[in-house]
Amino acid sequence: MRLLVIEDDATLRETLCSQLAEAGFGVEQAADGREGLYFALEYPIDLAIIDLGLPEISGLDVIRQLREKGKSYPVLILTARDRWQDKVDGLSAGADDYVVKPFHFEEVTARVNALLRRSGGWASAVLSAGPVTLDTMRQELSVDDRSIELTSYEYKIIEHLMIRAGEVISKTELTDRLYDQDFERDSNVIEVFIGRLRKKMDPENTLKPIDTLRGRGYRFALERNQDE
Amino acid sequence: MSSLSARLLISVSILLLFFFGATIAVLDIAFRDVGEKAREDILDGQLMTLLAAAEPNATGELEMPAGLPEPRFGNVGSGLYADLRDSEGSHVWRSRSSLGLDLPHGPVPEPGAQQFSRLAMEDGTPLMTLSLAVQWELPDGELKPYIFYVAESLDSFNAQLARFRRQLFTWFGAIALIMLFSISLLMRGMLRPLRQIEQEIGEIEGGNRRSLSEGFPTELSGVARNMNVLIGSERARSERYRQTLDNLAHSLKTPLAAMRAILTRQKSRKLTEQLEPQIEQMTEIVRYQLRKPAATAADAIGATPVSMKTQLSRLVDGLAKVYSDKGPTINIDVTDSAEFRGDTGDFLELAGNLLDNACKWCDSQVSLTIKPADADGGIIMTVADDGPGIPQDAADALLQRGSRLDESAPGHGIGLAVVRDIARSYGGEVAVGKSVLGGAEVTVTIPPHSTA
Repeated sequence: MRLLVIEDDATLRETLCSQLAEAGFGVEQAADGREGLYFALEYPIDLAIIDLGLPEISGLDVIRQLREKGKSYPVLILTARDRWQDKVDGLSAGADDYVVKPFHFEEVTARVNALLRRSGGWASAVLSAGPVTLDTMRQELSVDDRSIELTSYEYKIIEHLMIRAGEVISKTELTDRLYDQDFERDSNVIEVFIGRLRKKMDPENTLKPIDTLRGRGYRFALERNQDE
Repeated sequence: MSSLSARLLISVSILLLFFFGATIAVLDIAFRDVGEKAREDILDGQLMTLLAAAEPNATGELEMPAGLPEPRFGNVGSGLYADLRDSEGSHVWRSRSSLGLDLPHGPVPEPGAQQFSRLAMEDGTPLMTLSLAVQWELPDGELKPYIFYVAESLDSFNAQLARFRRQLFTWFGAIALIMLFSISLLMRGMLRPLRQIEQEIGEIEGGNRRSLSEGFPTELSGVARNMNVLIGSERARSERYRQTLDNLAHSLKTPLAAMRAILTRQKSRKLTEQLEPQIEQMTEIVRYQLRKPAATAADAIGATPVSMKTQLSRLVDGLAKVYSDKGPTINIDVTDSAEFRGDTGDFLELAGNLLDNACKWCDSQVSLTIKPADADGGIIMTVADDGPGIPQDAADALLQRGSRLDESAPGHGIGLAVVRDIARSYGGEVAVGKSVLGGAEVTVTIPPHSTA
């Protein structure tokens, strides 16, 4: 999952980005509203974390403009102004949730995970489809209650595919979600990761959790369980 | 007495009563004096006529001719009477008009002297009398004393005087009424600018006008200008206060957030245990102090009325996003036209904190009801949920006047403390109880700002 953090305070921004990266997210960062809006519109982003008090263009205007341009990914507001008027202004402008400074990092990751999950249409932090269960809080995957060990990259791919279960995700998009922008990409790596995931999740090749759509990408194929 | 018009009209009425009363008294006295003098002159003339008409007869007694030049002497009860008496007081002659009447005579004057008197007949009829004592020289040279007497009824004079007085009162009364009416009209015109200022201040209070208009008379233009300056500076002060709080919030909380993030990255348990409580304490103090009410009841004057339904709709939409996992049902009961006379931020702070707490603690149901506090305005906002409720002792401690942040209700953060402070800044109160839904019910009462 690729996040965008727009925060003008360098220490806070860099620390937050490092922690998010350690938590397994791909992170873009911007120090002001203008740069942030550019990234928000041009980069493949799954969720934006936006400070309201930004130089150049205010956080509220960034949110309004990216919504006007049709970007529908979740937006989490970081705000030092925790008066309800500011929160309501932010939520009315198009944000989906807010975190008031100074926050605990765990609070941010919890909100980010919840928003990502909700954007994929999942109501719970535990995604469940057929015998497959993915706990996004613990970052644990299990099939038929059998826990499966995953590498960081494998987890990112299955999380992305499961959150958007039923949708076709292109190789390019998966690559973007996996690597930082300046990393040299090789789409064959995605095929390798998908192959490994299939083996780990479906060693007998009976479940077929991931479809390959030639020339188009991949799709998590199992039906979401009814209570999701 | 609070009305300038009424004060002026009553003052002018008292002055008019005094001056017109004095004028009426002076005119009455003057008219009566002139009238009485005229009556005396007439009586004197009548007496001279009698003197001229009297002639001694052959027996040496004075006698009066049968016909006198004044015909009223010859008519019974005409009101003009005369007689002639000798030194013993016996009538030598009496006019036909005095027949059957017992005329009062009063004291006898000295010989050669006249005596005017005011006397009354037995039936009470007032008379003006004139007596003249003379020594009449008879043809044989003997001097014989006589008293000539004329009397006139004052009934007609008194009636004339009464008519004159009636006319005086009628005319002066009419003049006074016309003057009072004119002054009232004049005052109406003069006070129109003051009434305009009053109306415009009312519009400013209602949030329908930003400042007083221009073009007031010279005497009031300074007042209007100074009021506009005052209103403007008050608005600027509120805005500056809000701005300062925002800037302070940003300036303090961002470094605190950075400190906390750095601390998390250090992964030093000892350092975290030492510093985290300090950061948490600073955070709570900053959050509480910087969420102080933006306005007070006095600041609310001139604030644009807040449409509560509109703001609540935005708030509920926002909360629906934040609590989308839980998905509580939030019922809002407020009329379309209900308005909050105060700062929009303060209203959102009241409703936002209460609804946020209710959403956090409810099982599935939250309700917010707003009703007018009384006929003069004000609101009663009640937020209820079906959660576990707030322990009564914690709520009581929090809502006691003078309680501080560290006495806030457990689990309800600083939200309820902020609500309490905002309600009090508007002269209102907060009460916590149990709702019919089964959970907590918080009621905020804000009185009309004019009485706050």
